[in-house]
Amino acid sequence: MIALYAKAAVGAVLPGRARSLPGTVLERSVTPEVGHLADYGRVCGFPLADALPLTFPHVLAFPLQVELMAARSFPLPLPGLVHVANRITAHRAIGLGERLDVRVRAERFAAHPRGAQVDLVAEVSVDGTRVWDGRSTYLARGAQAPTGLAGELPDLPEVDGPAAAVWRVPADTGRRYAAVSGDVNPIHLNPVTAKAFGFPRAIAHGMWTAARALAALQGRVPEAATYEVGFRKPLLLPSTAELVTEQAKEGWDLAVRNRKGAVHLTGTVRRA
Amino acid sequence: MPSTPRRAAVIGGNRIPFARANGRYARASNLDMLTTTLDGLVARYGLAGERLGEVVAGAVLKHSRDFNLTREAVLGSRLAPSTPAYDVQQACGTGLEAAILVANKIALGQIESGVAGGVDTASDAPIAVNEDLRKVLVAINGARTVQQRVKLLAKLRPGQIVPDIPRNSEPRTGLSMGEHAAITAKEWGVSREAQDELAAVSHRNLAAAYERGFLDDLVTPYLGLTRDDNLRPDSSVEKLATLRPVFGTQFGDDATMTAGNSTPLTDGAALALLGSDEWAAAHKLPVLAHLVDAETAAVDYVHGRDGLLTAPVYAVPRLLERSGLTLQDFDFYEIHEAFASTVLATLKAWEDVEFAKDRLGLDAPLGSIDRSRLNVTGSSLAAGHPFAATGGRIVATLAKLVHEKGTGEGGRKARGLISICAAGGQGVVAILEAA
Repeated sequence: MIALYAKAAVGAVLPGRARSLPGTVLERSVTPEVGHLADYGRVCGFPLADALPLTFPHVLAFPLQVELMAARSFPLPLPGLVHVANRITAHRAIGLGERLDVRVRAERFAAHPRGAQVDLVAEVSVDGTRVWDGRSTYLARGAQAPTGLAGELPDLPEVDGPAAAVWRVPADTGRRYAAVSGDVNPIHLNPVTAKAFGFPRAIAHGMWTAARALAALQGRVPEAATYEVGFRKPLLLPSTAELVTEQAKEGWDLAVRNRKGAVHLTGTVRRA
Repeated sequence: MPSTPRRAAVIGGNRIPFARANGRYARASNLDMLTTTLDGLVARYGLAGERLGEVVAGAVLKHSRDFNLTREAVLGSRLAPSTPAYDVQQACGTGLEAAILVANKIALGQIESGVAGGVDTASDAPIAVNEDLRKVLVAINGARTVQQRVKLLAKLRPGQIVPDIPRNSEPRTGLSMGEHAAITAKEWGVSREAQDELAAVSHRNLAAAYERGFLDDLVTPYLGLTRDDNLRPDSSVEKLATLRPVFGTQFGDDATMTAGNSTPLTDGAALALLGSDEWAAAHKLPVLAHLVDAETAAVDYVHGRDGLLTAPVYAVPRLLERSGLTLQDFDFYEIHEAFASTVLATLKAWEDVEFAKDRLGLDAPLGSIDRSRLNVTGSSLAAGHPFAATGGRIVATLAKLVHEKGTGEGGRKARGLISICAAGGQGVVAILEAA
């Protein structure tokens, strides 16, 4: 994974980048291991159960996302891509021990107010039946989309209630999530590498924050559900954050904010 | 509140397969296993979103962070978060004592439903810091000035890095449970052959119970395990005879207790669902059995003459007297197999004329039991024994057994006796009767 980041970093400064999305579809088959699931659960706050956490298949698809985005055929430079939104739908509970066929492709290369955005789409199937869909939207600041087509971003409610929980997020959270997700983007790992990319300190992975928030709703989320999040202000490490949850029709609205009220993440969980 | 106590109903149960320590569940915590087992129970009986009267469970080996273990499991489960919960701990008696507590509240009309049981992991066991180190750390935490802290830091010694690992031994005697049991086995002249035979039967019975589907609605697979992985369906007296003794080796050739006729360290969780008959009917759940009565006894194994695991020997006669029953009035006996020798010594004590007179204060001994009614679907020697989980396993198993049998001799309701010995010289026993 680190090698891919390095390759992408070199590729970013070389001329000859593609101008449109490649039609590439990357695939892998994987049966999650108990140890991986246990490690992921400990970092994100999920119990070790026979059903995979709703967010877990994302870390199975993520290596394919990186491979696709690091390729020369991908029109945007991987270093500097910002994860701005994520949408997951689990069609049913996925059991530990099921063999998962994971497919990843890119689509919706479109304009964003601050550059261009692209969706990395992951599909997980068991024996030919789709069980899980993921859509990760990334922003390339200052980049230009081929057409003037405006990208879609989720319309998420603002949740502004009292804190359901206060999290003390330790400084090593980025390194710990990197170890279970394979996302070794230097902005998450330590303050020095994060500074090189313009952040005052290391920042938490958006998908860690999303997973941690969902884990807090353990037992309250339907097995078949759609979890949509928008990432806002980066969560600097270490820090203290607040989780806000509000019951909605057929699910939950939630937000993660800092103690001064600045929002890191907003999200919704709905029965699928 | 009803004017006379009613009998609490046992509706069923759920457990995960028990796993040998440091094996399949090595990465699972007590909270993981208890929550999973609770969610399995909720799924089996359609209780999602329900507010139950209470959930009572416990663990013997417990991290300090798990002080509210059972409540945390409820909050993480699909039960309504308005379901109260509390932890109990009575060593290996935990699960059955929890069931008695829930049943008593149901009997008094204080609650209409409840879940009882326990969980234990010998793999994810708490390891504490060295006691000397802990004292220094506590003092540093309480120090008010930098100078005080520096002074205290100077007290740290390299030897303090050695952690405190929990040991399966009695604090007051320093002997392990197996060593205690070996003394009792010697005292009662329990033979190696009899122990190995009991162990082989336990494996055979549990394997047969799995084969006939008896455990289908009692066990939910977990982390890839579908059956207890200590179970050896092909276990035999011949194979067991080859093992060397591990406890009571001070007795030389008279040492009889091996790894085969003693329970191994195991990880797992088990819960039983109880309720009033009315609650069960309102939820369209069949009642399997009623909890008739229960008794807990304790013995002075430290300075007295009784063995550590012999308290049930005293508990059962007291329970029988109160219920007006004899030891022979049962269709099933569930005697927890902490060690094969414990079961056999218990049976011998009940048969002994002198013991009855001198120690139990009875005119005649309780007598012997029909051994074909003992642990008919196997017990802890085969399934394993995650300490606090054993009571929940046995309550659900026996409830199903008496329900299957329906009636016993003379058309009376089928009846079963549970006997569980526990560390600390305690024993918990109970009677279940078919509904």
